[in-house]
Amino acid sequence: MSALFRGLRDGHGFDALLALLALVYLLTFSAFPLIYNIVMSFQEVDMFSMADLVRPFVGLANYKALFASPDFWPILRNTALFVLLSIVFQLAIGFGLALFMQQDFPGATYLRGLFLAAWIMPALVVGAVWKWIFAGDFGVLNYFLSQLGLVGSKVFWLSDPAISLYSVTIANIWLGIPFNMILLSVGLAGIPKDMYEAAALDGANALQRFWHMTLPMMRSTLGAVISLGIIFTLQQFDLFASLTQGGPANASNVAQYWSWQLSFQTYDIASGSAVSCLMLGFVIVVAVIYVRSTRHEHRA
Amino acid sequence: MKRYALLALALIFLAIYLFPLYWMYLTALKPSSETFTYPPTFWPHHPEWNFAKVFVDKKMATYLSNSLLIAIGTTVIVALFGTGCAYALSRVRSVWMDIVLFLILMMQVLPSSLMATPIFVIFNQIGLIATPRTAVVLVQAAKVLPLYIVLTRTSFMQIPKELEEAARVDGASRFGAFMRIAVPLARNGILVTSVLIFLQSFGEYVYSRSLISEEALQTATVGLMNFMGPNTTDWNGIMTYAVIYVTPILFVFVLLQRKIVSGLTAGALK
Repeated sequence: MSALFRGLRDGHGFDALLALLALVYLLTFSAFPLIYNIVMSFQEVDMFSMADLVRPFVGLANYKALFASPDFWPILRNTALFVLLSIVFQLAIGFGLALFMQQDFPGATYLRGLFLAAWIMPALVVGAVWKWIFAGDFGVLNYFLSQLGLVGSKVFWLSDPAISLYSVTIANIWLGIPFNMILLSVGLAGIPKDMYEAAALDGANALQRFWHMTLPMMRSTLGAVISLGIIFTLQQFDLFASLTQGGPANASNVAQYWSWQLSFQTYDIASGSAVSCLMLGFVIVVAVIYVRSTRHEHRA
Repeated sequence: MKRYALLALALIFLAIYLFPLYWMYLTALKPSSETFTYPPTFWPHHPEWNFAKVFVDKKMATYLSNSLLIAIGTTVIVALFGTGCAYALSRVRSVWMDIVLFLILMMQVLPSSLMATPIFVIFNQIGLIATPRTAVVLVQAAKVLPLYIVLTRTSFMQIPKELEEAARVDGASRFGAFMRIAVPLARNGILVTSVLIFLQSFGEYVYSRSLISEEALQTATVGLMNFMGPNTTDWNGIMTYAVIYVTPILFVFVLLQRKIVSGLTAGALK
């Protein structure tokens, strides 16, 4: 007993104890709900059976009902579109800004950091501000666009079913730009300067240097930023809640918001947990790929 | 000369990017009649100071103190459980520690909105839903704990092992060396990461919305959502609410900007 105590106080037991404390906390409040969720997705769960400890198993019925639902495929398509467009534009704009901020001018680092002011704000507040910018009649975005002659009549950004998903995507791109830019800046700073000088001496122009040197050297950073982008984009909930609530008529709904709606607004908890299981599975696969790819780099 | 041209261009980019923030502050200062003019005005010609009115009318004192409570509770739990784990992960390289790190990274990516369903059912069964703010603190801590561990671990890695070994030779226990050498030396990283966790939890929405039903216990994000309602027209009031809510957050951010940015970049890519 005293040997065990001494191990905990002085030996490797001490490290193990510290690591286990946090791990047990996470297993209790993250991993256990995760597994519980999988079990629930095979059960019949509604408002009344929610408190029961033993619930009837229904096999794959929840999933079958989900796949047969007319909302399922459109919402999945919306989710894919939301993730794809968010990542492409966050990455392109973030990369552009990172390259620009890489140049030598006074205050570059400080100004680059200021972009993160958007990222630090609660996403729900960001959603409220964008909702006001998007407003149809008095919104400032419509004013700018009509001044520039880009639109003839007022665009109803949030209530037009053909546009609402793109409006939420625009707000999400705005929110994600600084994070992308900062991570890409770190990657850019890691490229040795003398390589560029040598290439410039050999007569490579700026575009050639970007295409043949910057991009290949940034491959691993880009991979990490894209995986993190997918993970963060699938976490986006607050913007949907504040801007469109998935509407009108599910036109801007995505899986992570739909799952919540099913459980907390229509109390169809079984379906909510089935959607949640599918999405959690997908997120975990992306995360495994990301972690494995960064691991390889450390070993190499 | 070219350097100043670049600086001017950078300022223009920043101004365009941060325009939504300006618009928020501007709308908050305009009187409601000026809010609904078209074309809109871009400078408050008759600024109106209705912060106190919105603060009282919208019961912001209650909402903000609930948010504050949740943010403080989350930060305390995260710092208590996370600091030691981050330290252990920075000191020991073994298969077991790799597995722990892997599991922690996996639990970092689980979206709150997807975890809300099982957590709501479990908390209903064990009765935690009766103390909803505690429930939110517990799950929000589980949500942000991995990020804290990952970021704080990089600060511990920068501290040479030799300092602790010297203290051990002088008779300190592992725990003593951890508390008196490692933690004080890593305090900058610990503090900045704690601030980051605090700010994130101060703006938490999903769990508060899902687990708290009583209005007097709800957070500032839920209060803002209630204010916005389906057919909102009081944009002037909503932006005033938003300004009261985020100004302290932005203030802390500007103060600690340099440290937050460097802490994030050190941890995020490793």
